[in-house]
Amino acid sequence: MTINVSELIAALPGEEDDAIAQPSSPATESSNHFSSRPIPISRFRRLSALGTLQAKIAAAYLFYWLRGWFKSADEKQRLLAEAHWRTALRLLDSMGYLRGAVMKVGQTLANLPDIAPPEFVETLEKLHFDAPPMHWSLLRELVFSEFGDDPERLFVSFNKTAFAAASLGQVHQAQLRTGEDVAVKIQYPGIADAIQSDFRNLFLFLLPGRLGRDWENTRDQMDDLQRRLTLETDYKMEAENLRQARTLFHEEDGVVIPEVYPQFSTPRVLTMERLRGLHLREFMATNPSQDERNDVARKFVRAWYRLMFAGRMLYVDFHPGNFLVLDDGRIGILDFGCILPLEGDEWELFRKIDRPLTTGRQDDRLAVLKEWNDIGDDEPDRLRLCDEFGLWCWKSRFNAGEYDFGDEQDFRHGVELFGEMVRKRYSRSRANVITITRGNFGWRSIMYLLKAKVDIRAIAEEEVKATGWDRSGYAGRTLA
Amino acid sequence: MRITTEEKNATRERIVKVAVELFKSGGFEATTTRDIANSAEIATGTLFNYFDTKESIVAALASEAVRRSRKSLITNTDRASFEEDLFAVVASELRELKPLRKFILPFLEIALSPIIEGRRTNTDELRIGHLELVSDLARQRGLLEITPVGLQMYWSLYAGVLAFWASDKSSKQIETLALLDESMNMFAVWLRGTDKNLERDQS
Ligand SMILES: Nc1ncnc2c1ncn2[C@@H]1O[C@H](COP(=O)(O)OP(=O)(O)OP(=O)(O)O)[C@@H](O)[C@H]1O
Repeated sequence: MTINVSELIAALPGEEDDAIAQPSSPATESSNHFSSRPIPISRFRRLSALGTLQAKIAAAYLFYWLRGWFKSADEKQRLLAEAHWRTALRLLDSMGYLRGAVMKVGQTLANLPDIAPPEFVETLEKLHFDAPPMHWSLLRELVFSEFGDDPERLFVSFNKTAFAAASLGQVHQAQLRTGEDVAVKIQYPGIADAIQSDFRNLFLFLLPGRLGRDWENTRDQMDDLQRRLTLETDYKMEAENLRQARTLFHEEDGVVIPEVYPQFSTPRVLTMERLRGLHLREFMATNPSQDERNDVARKFVRAWYRLMFAGRMLYVDFHPGNFLVLDDGRIGILDFGCILPLEGDEWELFRKIDRPLTTGRQDDRLAVLKEWNDIGDDEPDRLRLCDEFGLWCWKSRFNAGEYDFGDEQDFRHGVELFGEMVRKRYSRSRANVITITRGNFGWRSIMYLLKAKVDIRAIAEEEVKATGWDRSGYAGRTLA
Repeated sequence: MRITTEEKNATRERIVKVAVELFKSGGFEATTTRDIANSAEIATGTLFNYFDTKESIVAALASEAVRRSRKSLITNTDRASFEEDLFAVVASELRELKPLRKFILPFLEIALSPIIEGRRTNTDELRIGHLELVSDLARQRGLLEITPVGLQMYWSLYAGVLAFWASDKSSKQIETLALLDESMNMFAVWLRGTDKNLERDQS
């Protein structure tokens, strides 16, 4: 299949027509919520018609997404920025491996159903499970170069076609000599270096597009993406995360983390226990009852808190494909490539947040937010927004009783606050705040997907004990 | 004095063995034919009965490696496309050539020269064998005959991959695999494109 760049570029959200391209005046800006933004559907239809160019659709969406940041810039600047993005996209086209990176952005977006148009989300799902680009002869060489032997000899069986695509490689079903069913994740050759140099090139091309605050914003997102991707290129790190996470769970938790087989794992190959079950979207497609969904949600929340409090690992990669509902009702958690270790400053933050999280009092919340985000007295709007977003994030925890995570109105409100924070760059104050915020948002979008109605306070209270924090000053009291 | 074939083979093997050791320890350039003869405990004149130059020692080793690689190619036939065929051909060669990697570059310079009509060397056999194999594989996949221009193009890509491999600094030469994959894809896509053009012209 020959790749036709001009077709793609023509199909991009364009210069001339689409509603999205209309200049926005400051007056309309305030009412301009993410969820009410017009979406250039026709263009996306055309993009979808390009078939195997799904990766580029993601690229186009990246463009569209980042363009949102330029809305407040004046017309001339905006057009200039767009011209640069076009150039960047052409460049992107020539950079094979960065497409993996773009897929990643796309997946993050797919988590935000109210931001991303349904056509786009569907396309992404396909992208995620699309046919693998690495053929058997290449895989064989990769395995040989890592282990000094051919897959036919290392494994009893090794399925030559991938059963899933990973962003930086692909996943194959195999069986070990000792009988275990395994999933073998294999990375594209040379991707780690390719990502580094691709990002360098991309920045060079974007440099002329700098637009003060908006540029900073874009940069933060790109930096964050690059950090994450760099982390994810080392499967040894993921293996270690998996190993640690696995020790945290017991039979009664109903949570499974796949076991890693270190003798068949290297920085580029990760061999782990194959989990069998339904991905969250597949699970939802079976029309599970409220009780069944709640059960999955409780296990999911327990797993998240367990990792956080007992494991000091913050799971931030909330792609629905990373969670499986196993045949026996347990849940499986995959993809430990991007874990934020909670130590030093971050751990301190979590300890401090515990107070407002538990009491739900605005005073407690403001104190922590001010300190943590370095919000000055001259930034009332920033404080207001952070407080509103904090309240949105935390109220499901301090509210005693069942919380309706499937409430669309409520979820939409969170999306809007989040979008506003990102656009106004309020979330940026310290390294990792973006990641933490996204993580916070990510788990909620999974709960929303599950349409769960559960009380997570009790679970949190059980799990937080593992920290050994002295909570005597505030725990046990509830909101008046 | 008559020497038996057996003795001849033994000497030849000894020469090759010490030559490889010398190339590895002292480098290809710095090693002279005299050094090789001395280490093999033969007269320099005797060495020339076996090999004209030190390059031809490497050529002999390379030929053997390539011959072995063709055998492994036959045992691994489960391939899905022409690009995968090409990838497998070269990858299996690289596996066998691996022990020579550190000192093969000077040899490659001669053997891989993109100028096909150069002086005749004992590397022609390698080149012709390789290109015939590529043409056969294309035929088996039902593609049209590869033209001389096509073969020249293929050879340039192939030479590029091998030269890259010989000086690839990435761990386990992983980047060579990426380059090989992309190069062979590029050639296969191009070939199918010209196929279509020809068909159109003919109809
Ligand atoms: N142990 C496993 N058991 C069953 N399926 C697995 C396993 N590991 C991976 N998979 C499948 O492979 C897909 C990709 O794996 P994983 O998420 O680990 O890769 P990744 O490179 O981090 O990709 P991404 O971040 O894009 O999801 C998963 O969504 C899942 O479908």
